[in-house]
Amino acid sequence: MPELKDIKKMLHEQGYITDDSVAMSVFLSLKLNKPLLVEGPAGVGKTEIAKVMAKALQTDLIRLQCYEGLDTTHALYEWNYQRQLLHLKMVEHNNQPVEEKEKTIFSDSFLMKRPLLQAITHNKRPVLLIDEIDRSDEEFESFLLEVLSDWQITVPEIGTIKATHIPQVILTSNRTRELSEALRRRCLYLYIDYPDFEKEWMIVKNKVPGIDAKLAEQITGFIQQLRIIKLEKTPGIAETLDWAAALSALHIDHLDKNIIEQTLGVVLKDWRDTRQVQMSLSELMEKTGVHSKL
Amino acid sequence: MITRQTSLSKNIVQFCRFLRQKGFGVTIEEETLSLQALQFIDYNDNDVFRQTLKATLCHNKTQLDEFDNLFHEYWKELEKAVDAKTKEDTKNKTAFQQQASYKALKKWLHGNENKETEETAAYSMQESLSKRDFAAVPEDEVEELMQAIKKIAKRLASKTNRRYEFSYKTDIPDLRKTLRKNLRRGGELLDIIHRRPKHNRLKLVLLCDVSRSMELYSAFLIQFMYAFQQVYRRMETFVFSTSLKRVTSLLKQKNFSEAMQQLSNENSGWSGGTRIGESLNTFVNEYGKKLIDSKTFVIILSDGWDTGNIDLIRTNMEFIHAKSKKLIWLNPLAGFEDYKPHVSAMKAALPFIDVFAPAHNVESLKRLGRWL
Repeated sequence: MPELKDIKKMLHEQGYITDDSVAMSVFLSLKLNKPLLVEGPAGVGKTEIAKVMAKALQTDLIRLQCYEGLDTTHALYEWNYQRQLLHLKMVEHNNQPVEEKEKTIFSDSFLMKRPLLQAITHNKRPVLLIDEIDRSDEEFESFLLEVLSDWQITVPEIGTIKATHIPQVILTSNRTRELSEALRRRCLYLYIDYPDFEKEWMIVKNKVPGIDAKLAEQITGFIQQLRIIKLEKTPGIAETLDWAAALSALHIDHLDKNIIEQTLGVVLKDWRDTRQVQMSLSELMEKTGVHSKL
Repeated sequence: MITRQTSLSKNIVQFCRFLRQKGFGVTIEEETLSLQALQFIDYNDNDVFRQTLKATLCHNKTQLDEFDNLFHEYWKELEKAVDAKTKEDTKNKTAFQQQASYKALKKWLHGNENKETEETAAYSMQESLSKRDFAAVPEDEVEELMQAIKKIAKRLASKTNRRYEFSYKTDIPDLRKTLRKNLRRGGELLDIIHRRPKHNRLKLVLLCDVSRSMELYSAFLIQFMYAFQQVYRRMETFVFSTSLKRVTSLLKQKNFSEAMQQLSNENSGWSGGTRIGESLNTFVNEYGKKLIDSKTFVIILSDGWDTGNIDLIRTNMEFIHAKSKKLIWLNPLAGFEDYKPHVSAMKAALPFIDVFAPAHNVESLKRLGRWL
């Protein structure tokens, strides 16, 4: 089991640059066997943490993406109906009693395991990432709560399946709705915000090797300014990196008004935002300290 | 008297008590967890120590934001307490005892909750807070209101159901049940069982004014919100006066009178003035994009008496109007026969309101059901 400093190192090796609170939460979550609830705006690397964790434990990552209307057939298990029907056709002329047929088609080999069932029956203790839990319905949240405390799943046709290993759980949320207090209580809580200038600059230099240091600084500064403006969709770190990679690929070594205007689509994904930024571009550039050369 | 606790664990137990007094709901389990966590870390490093406690004791963003200050406050007070002990020995303790913080510390160390402590600890003193008992809603009216609200809710639900049935043919076969049923006949699919997606996908966002000008109605409004909360799963409730507060989960966890009590105890600017514009702005910025879509009804309950920025009302009302399915403004004053909406805030908001209705009595609530 890795120590705190190992976690820090691992996070760093993965190019995950952040403050110590992240390392601490990951570390404690591992040590105390507690689910980790990670909140924060989109694009700050919440999901990344799960990947780092899986690597730290040298195990597999099982991911459950939540969405409105997510139900047990997508989270837990489903019977493979096509196979069941085919099987029934095949044994149609056997004089097998119905009970026997039923037993066969409701057995393990006809069961399709979905992420939650997969996670608890995995041959090695996996990392279970429950992504964007805030998007799921509240019923699902309560259901999840049950699974997270009992670590067993009941399939009526088979019986109760107990966890072979208790997975390491990470939940992420964008705070579109408040999660229940009961769920919070069960987890360690971590909030990740947009990185400050220094951190983001480091991230850019780290993730886009070969980028001009000056350009990286300008890009970061510009994005930091963009985040201050009220936008429909505030750019995350992913956008910063895309932009940096794009400009780097174009062999550009500094920002100017033309370049920004031409490549703004990499950063802003909403036409109102684009319009708004275009209108205040000079001002923004001034704040960033980028001066138009011509 | 107050001395530094000899063991770390005792200190942590004290610290948890301190947090509880500051409004953190720290359970024994979490206390245990933080103690367990300490065995894995080097707690001589102050930063590591603080982060460990932070990671184990906080459960939401607000708590995370407050934690560092409280942490420093606690250890600082504790240092002082030790000093005080020393000074007591040299018979020079009077000056320290006068300090409010010292008193506060003394009080909670001895486990006595004291009004004085609460006041010293209050973080916001700007917002005028008048103590008011929300729980004092007349018993006989409560029942009548509940009935009306339930009726409205039911009508609302059935109406949306009908609408869905006409516009969609979304029946899909339920393979699991179909297979089960037909298995008895050897697996030949004779009967197909259908399932339909759940209907009630309607979302509601409620924004309720609880300022002084709404004092008469606030109890009534809360009641209104609360009943809806019980009936509708997909619903968000906010209250505002000078600031905005999301109370969705509070209303879900507590029963009526408990929720009332807690809301009036908290310093969210209840019964202060009203700043509709600012509150709407907070709502739009923090929650608007996430909570409002074309399937969302937004209901605002306010009389429109505003002391804040009118432009903010206009821009934010426009936003909500554009994003939501319907924007309903309930104004208790509109119940008076000679009422004309010429409060400036109301005027600014009016162009963006789909339905403008009174909400001053049970009768008007019943009528509201028609609009939803």
